[in-house]
Amino acid sequence: MTGALVTAAPGAEAAAAVPILAVRDLRTYFFADEGTVRAVDGASFELRDQATLGIVGESGCGKSVTARSILRIVERPGRIVSGQILLRRAVAGAPAEGRSGPGAAVVDLVRLDAGSREMRQIRGGDIGLVFQEPMTSFSPVHTVGNQMVETIRLHLGLGRAAARARAIDLLHQVGVPRPERRVDEYAFQLSGGLRQRAMIATALACGPRILIADEPTTALDVTTQAQILDLLRQLQAREGMAIMLITHNLGVVAEMCDEVVVMYLGRVVERGPVDAIFHAPRHPYTQALLRSIPSIHAPVRTKLPTVAGSIPHPHNRPAGCPFHPRCAHWIRGTCERHEPVLQPVDGAAGQQVACFLHHPPAGAGTPAAAAAGAAR
Amino acid sequence: MTGGPGAAGTATGAGAAVGAAGGPVGGAPRGASVDDEPLLRVRGLRKHFPIRRGVLRGLVGQVRAVDDVSFDLRRGETLSLVGESGCGKTTTARCILRALAPTAGEIRFRRADGSTVDLATLPKRRLRPLRREMQMIFQDPYSSLNPRKTLLEIVGEPLRVHGVGGRKERVDRVAALLRMVGLRPEYLRRFPHAFSGGQRQRIGIARALALSPSLVVADEPVSALDVSVQAQILNLMLDLQAELGLTYLFVAHDLSVVKHVSDRVAVMYVGRIVEVAGTEPLFRAPRHPYTEALLSAVPKPDPRLRSQRIVLEGDVADPGSPPPGCYFHPRCRYAIPACRAEAPRLDAIAPGHWVACHRARELTLRGVDA
Repeated sequence: MTGALVTAAPGAEAAAAVPILAVRDLRTYFFADEGTVRAVDGASFELRDQATLGIVGESGCGKSVTARSILRIVERPGRIVSGQILLRRAVAGAPAEGRSGPGAAVVDLVRLDAGSREMRQIRGGDIGLVFQEPMTSFSPVHTVGNQMVETIRLHLGLGRAAARARAIDLLHQVGVPRPERRVDEYAFQLSGGLRQRAMIATALACGPRILIADEPTTALDVTTQAQILDLLRQLQAREGMAIMLITHNLGVVAEMCDEVVVMYLGRVVERGPVDAIFHAPRHPYTQALLRSIPSIHAPVRTKLPTVAGSIPHPHNRPAGCPFHPRCAHWIRGTCERHEPVLQPVDGAAGQQVACFLHHPPAGAGTPAAAAAGAAR
Repeated sequence: MTGGPGAAGTATGAGAAVGAAGGPVGGAPRGASVDDEPLLRVRGLRKHFPIRRGVLRGLVGQVRAVDDVSFDLRRGETLSLVGESGCGKTTTARCILRALAPTAGEIRFRRADGSTVDLATLPKRRLRPLRREMQMIFQDPYSSLNPRKTLLEIVGEPLRVHGVGGRKERVDRVAALLRMVGLRPEYLRRFPHAFSGGQRQRIGIARALALSPSLVVADEPVSALDVSVQAQILNLMLDLQAELGLTYLFVAHDLSVVKHVSDRVAVMYVGRIVEVAGTEPLFRAPRHPYTEALLSAVPKPDPRLRSQRIVLEGDVADPGSPPPGCYFHPRCRYAIPACRAEAPRLDAIAPGHWVACHRARELTLRGVDA
């Protein structure tokens, strides 16, 4: 896998297929007095060049901690316990761990010091970040412009005047009206939509090749959400960024993403191309989640199919498959004893599922049995 | 008023017209008893908040959070107020419950004994007996339950405050309420922290139902919940309504959720109702451009439906200084000069379908298919 990473051929088609970011068996745990919370517990996925990857799941599934792990901003008592976060950097000749290929170097972010110079360059430089709540993400005592100028000067080493000009240009690019005036306003003076635009402008300041957007539209109204999603799409087409979109909103995923990772209690339960996830989901959790979303296309006043129970408290994580207590199809003697791992779905390119219905546990697992399980 | 006395006259006229025509009541409600008198009749409701500036806190303007709102709510039906933040939907709901005192207008509530009261003008001390008949379900199941009280105290509090039954009867009643909302009665002595978000919302619903109210105002009751839990709560609300004959005023921004629970929907924009209709016609064939844009902006959970969305320009108008004429005209792709000159009245365009748009009769707008 790592080999595939570094043989990055020039040429757009090849580049599009090569992941710019690969997360391998990431585990981020929080060590508290009451016990250890395995917030991310063996997550693996890839983000491809210029593509949009959706990470979906409900509260406690570990989607935000995954993003914070990638940026190395996990707060204590949490820390990355194991795994790899492989970032392909475009810098030639930069000192980097891992192997380097022509014009590209692969860095394992897990092995960098969170406060190191290189990590600081990556955070905000290679990877831009957009949070859910732009009100709390901006400082209330500095103007939006000053905060942007600070970022730009830090990463690009521009002078104050040049950085300010760049900030105004960026605000203009993200559709903030009268940017030369807005640049001197404070975050509270902007509407929710404009604040989120300013946040995106800040994230774009250094021309990142990856944008991580954690619930970027959750705090916004639906018409403003539509504006911001449109903006992200336009920027992606123009700048060629890869976007990692973290959300609980399956509608946003369906509209935006090329590929989807579904998480439940810290584990990736299913991943695949967006069409497969929505039209041929294999994991009982994905299926149940999709059935239970209120749909604007549903007949008026209809009851929704529900998922039984609720998401367990992180301290009472079920043994075996974390979803088995809520699963309508669980196999007694298997699902509560063994943890399923992600395996390819037969006949579905790029789709993987972690479920014993599709892949019986090792020992019982022959290729024939696996095929029978998948066909069920 | 925005456009001077003339505009004010028009607005009041619209309110009066609505009243004369019997009010924006929908078609025949689903299975509900046909009762000529609605449970709630709201006419010309206004709530203005003063804007004060400077050391002397001088009055420099007013935010018209609710600006001439009229609707009827029939016994046993669910009417949803929808719109984006700042549209006045929550303020309207709070005025009805008299958590806020309205600036003007009438809120006629039909009591269980058959008498009718105007909640808008009722003195505070006379409101208390009415609280038994109207209750609220809150958005955030985390902050709306006192963490230091047991379920028995939380759900039993309305009973205690209103002096219903003795201690023993209250325990039985709370146990029955918990069972009704799908919680085990053994949980009586537990504290809210032991429960998940969905369970807490069930507790909030049990508390709201303790006094057997006829009207339940639910303000974004599922928007803080996870998707897999939302469906459980929405289904519970539908079941309870059928079982107890409840009337819901449902305040929400999520149109998909609204479609699953509502008989009728009122769309609000900057303090005004722009469209009211039965849920099915409103979603299938909206008549107000703002409704069309709202429906089109909802992300559809199907990658094969990545459609041409209508993306509105700009932001929602500031209710402190709204634009002249129709408040929506600066963002409306169908606007004509008349839209700038004069505020449209809420008019019946079809039986039970009311729209405030100068072009409502000529436009064919896009809705969503069932």
